[in-house]
Amino acid sequence: MKGRGRVAFIVSFLAPAAIVYAGLVLVPLIRAFEFSMFRWRGVSNKRTFIGDENFRNLFQDRAFATALTNNLMLLVGCGVAVVALALLVAHGVRGEGRLRKILRSIYLFPQVVSVVVVAVMWQFIFNPHGLFNAGLRAVNLSKWTHTWLGESAWALPAVGVAFVWYALGFYIMLFAAGLEGIPHEVNEAAELDGSKGWHRFWRVTWPLLWSVKRVAVTYLTINVMNTFAIVYLMTRGGPDRKSEVMLTYLYEQAFVNSQFGYATALATGNFLVVMVLSLAILFVFRRNPVEARP
Amino acid sequence: MKRAIFTVCLGLFTLTVLLPLVWVLISSLKPGAEILAEPWAMPSEFRWANYARAWGEAGIGRAFVNSSFVTVATLVILLPIGAMAAYVLAKYAFPGAKAILGTFLGGMMFPTFLVIVPLFLLMRDLKMLDTMHGLILVYVAYSLPFTVFVLTGFFVNLPDELAEAAMLDGCGHARTFWSVMLPLARPGIIVVGIFNAIGLWNEYGLALVLLPSERNQTLPLGIANLTMTQQYQSDWGALFAGLVIVMLPVLVVYGFFREKIHETMLAGAVKG
Amino acid sequence: MYSLLALVACALAACNGGDGSKVEGAIEVMAFKGGYGIDMYESAAKEFQEKNPGVTVSVSGNPRVWEQIRPRMVAENPPDLMFPGWGMDHWALVEEGQLRELDSALDGPAYDGKGTWRETFDPNMLKLGQKDGKTFMLPYYIMVFGWWYDPAVFAKNGWTPPTNWDELLTLCERIKAKGVAPIAYQGQYPYYMIEGMLYPWVVSLGGVQAIVDAQNLVPGAWNSEPMLKAAEMIDTLNEKGYFLEGSTGMSHTESQTQFLNGKAAMVPCGSWMESEMKEVMPKGVTIEFMRVPVVAGGKGDPTALLVGVEPWMVPTHAKNADGAIALYKYMTSLPKAKEFVEKKGTLMAIVGSDQAKLPRVLEKPAAAVREAKTLYANQHRQWYPSMQKEIEGAITSMLNREITPKQFVDRCEAAAEKTRNDASIPKYKMSL
Repeated sequence: MKGRGRVAFIVSFLAPAAIVYAGLVLVPLIRAFEFSMFRWRGVSNKRTFIGDENFRNLFQDRAFATALTNNLMLLVGCGVAVVALALLVAHGVRGEGRLRKILRSIYLFPQVVSVVVVAVMWQFIFNPHGLFNAGLRAVNLSKWTHTWLGESAWALPAVGVAFVWYALGFYIMLFAAGLEGIPHEVNEAAELDGSKGWHRFWRVTWPLLWSVKRVAVTYLTINVMNTFAIVYLMTRGGPDRKSEVMLTYLYEQAFVNSQFGYATALATGNFLVVMVLSLAILFVFRRNPVEARP
Repeated sequence: MKRAIFTVCLGLFTLTVLLPLVWVLISSLKPGAEILAEPWAMPSEFRWANYARAWGEAGIGRAFVNSSFVTVATLVILLPIGAMAAYVLAKYAFPGAKAILGTFLGGMMFPTFLVIVPLFLLMRDLKMLDTMHGLILVYVAYSLPFTVFVLTGFFVNLPDELAEAAMLDGCGHARTFWSVMLPLARPGIIVVGIFNAIGLWNEYGLALVLLPSERNQTLPLGIANLTMTQQYQSDWGALFAGLVIVMLPVLVVYGFFREKIHETMLAGAVKG
Repeated sequence: MYSLLALVACALAACNGGDGSKVEGAIEVMAFKGGYGIDMYESAAKEFQEKNPGVTVSVSGNPRVWEQIRPRMVAENPPDLMFPGWGMDHWALVEEGQLRELDSALDGPAYDGKGTWRETFDPNMLKLGQKDGKTFMLPYYIMVFGWWYDPAVFAKNGWTPPTNWDELLTLCERIKAKGVAPIAYQGQYPYYMIEGMLYPWVVSLGGVQAIVDAQNLVPGAWNSEPMLKAAEMIDTLNEKGYFLEGSTGMSHTESQTQFLNGKAAMVPCGSWMESEMKEVMPKGVTIEFMRVPVVAGGKGDPTALLVGVEPWMVPTHAKNADGAIALYKYMTSLPKAKEFVEKKGTLMAIVGSDQAKLPRVLEKPAAAVREAKTLYANQHRQWYPSMQKEIEGAITSMLNREITPKQFVDRCEAAAEKTRNDASIPKYKMSL
């Protein structure tokens, strides 16, 4: 964008947001990062400078590795589920009909209720005597019942289900908007080509959703890597760290073990992982595949 | 055939979304002990008293007013300044633009609870502890990353030609933004507004530390008081009633504006 | 005239810091709002205010009060008297010099002027807030750990509460035959199993010294013979199918509800059980406390009892420490302590408070305390939280039958060794 008064305009438009953000987010954030080079228990203002010791400990911390692995597994599992379901439902919310109307009015419900409510609710659903197992027993599938939140193999998937249930609405909305944004001419052209169903979806719709996908995947990554309340309230990272994620571990270090300095080092580590993932996503989605076509 | 499968899938999805919520609603009227004893059964008697206990414990009345005020005031400040910044970052190439955008995004990648201590000290120095305006300002700041992130995506997709045409007609940069580009980005503003409103309505961690006194309490603080106290008293009836009390207003408001939101959002929307 | 009268009344009521200085000014109290609420602290504050003109006491409580207290500790602007609850790392406060040493106050007169303040507390409980002989934290109510059962159910089936391991095994078999799970436990909070089974059995097998050594990180104490045996006993119960299915996935209140609903015959839990569960207690169900069954002929004292406290403290930077101490003296005076026992249904660390009219469910725990020749506590849970976390993880894995008792104790020993060798972790000594 060009024109007179460009610089003054840029500065005046950026300033309000930049000042508030820098003052109240960046300043405390930088102070917090600073703590990662100190031994600090977070209950007084006494700190000891220890250089990179916290970071060196990070690399030998098996719990950190476990938490990171769990986060990545959640990211892959929830990522695939969210994108697939969001696309499916996004197609569904468009047409006419009674079911679709209902669907349109409710798909955002889970996102609207607080995450605390979501976690408490799912804890009761996955309780050994909760809604889910009782339902399985009612339809004669007793052998499928599990102690969902207490068994090593099931705790993390159970948390993942609650997460997907909670987060899906936002992505449905994004994809619905994206689908709506595909110009009619494109659909008509595809119609003329005789391309249909899956084929048309893969050849036409999917590539056109480029910028929505980029937003969705980036946000999803940040979202999953920073999951806290759902895990903390449902399993507290258990059993035996089988559902531990970065932020529950970080919380433990900061507030249970009073290792505030080490916790900020963990946060820095998590931050770097998210940064790398985000950059990778930007790289994958670096070019608009539609524009790239001759 | 394929259509039928698709419809069944959508039906299942609808059920999955609704069932847990309906279950919470029904459970909230049960005597506490029945919630786990017979999860699928209807209440043996309707215990409206669950609601009375939940309401009293959480101090809902005042918290409701506080929460509404904080949420609205935050949005009134946040949306314009967020949109302004997003617009400049999306449409004006200048050195450092990418870095600024990245800095905004970085804010989303850091858990708030680690910043709490330095933020508390900062707010104390600014004499803004335990004040509504202090919390609103903090909310604006911490909502900016998401707001800028999503809105930048919307502005990038608006065609440059429209802005250029407006400027040829003699509009300045600012006029072009307010009267041409911002209205075009309305769907984005709505998406961002809704999700921020939801997030702010439910925000707990910052309010807990920055608003300690009872008269300033927001709804999530009241509800958390309730849900956590119930864990020591096993009053599950009241717990579920509390969950309903916090869910219901948001669901009602959302239901009220839903069609409008949907139309506006799909009117412009993200271009692929 | 009126104010003169008040002054005289005040002098008669000995309303001062106990060391002669008059109490005045504002006193801020922050308290954890858990199962006992904060209403008793509020009413005590109000009474104290009336007895001491010129004093204003404000009491606030929150279920996550520790998150509100933490930044105020860093800012050196703490409340005057606080009860930060289980979410606060108490010993970090001690190590950082954030808590006032209370020994001179303790050696001053008690609220009623009879004897010293120190003498009002049960010395066993007072010890839990001490490091190197200095007192930083004061007890209030106490918790006694044991098991619970429903006497009516037991009577109906002709069962009797087991007093030792062999009786327990026989009883469990009979209970199981009736289609009831013998024991439920709180799997999401593994310390219930540690404090409700592991510890008592270690004490019974190896004497209380075995637990003292373990908490003092003596090499080999965590994979000692008694520790391994105790772990094997838990594993035996598990192997024989005596635990309620799904217990690993249950929270404290969930598993206790299953017990109350008759799905399990016994559950390990502390003396707070009734107050925690009263809302979901089915009509007609009564519960009774029992000591953890011991190993017949074991080396340890069969009356040994695991106890715990949730302490109160005065921060170093409190603006009105004298006021805080005077207020807490009032709160821990015998009449107030008895009132708390009666209203809240818990035992207190105040000598003589068990003479109050105890709620029925507290009679057994109170008797157990009186009869106990050995009282001990799980202190490493607060001292070394990261070690505790590892032990909790290990016991969960053992209960899920993913590791053997031998592997369990080895993991515990490794965690203890790691703690022992980490110079950055302050060390504590347990004594009896």
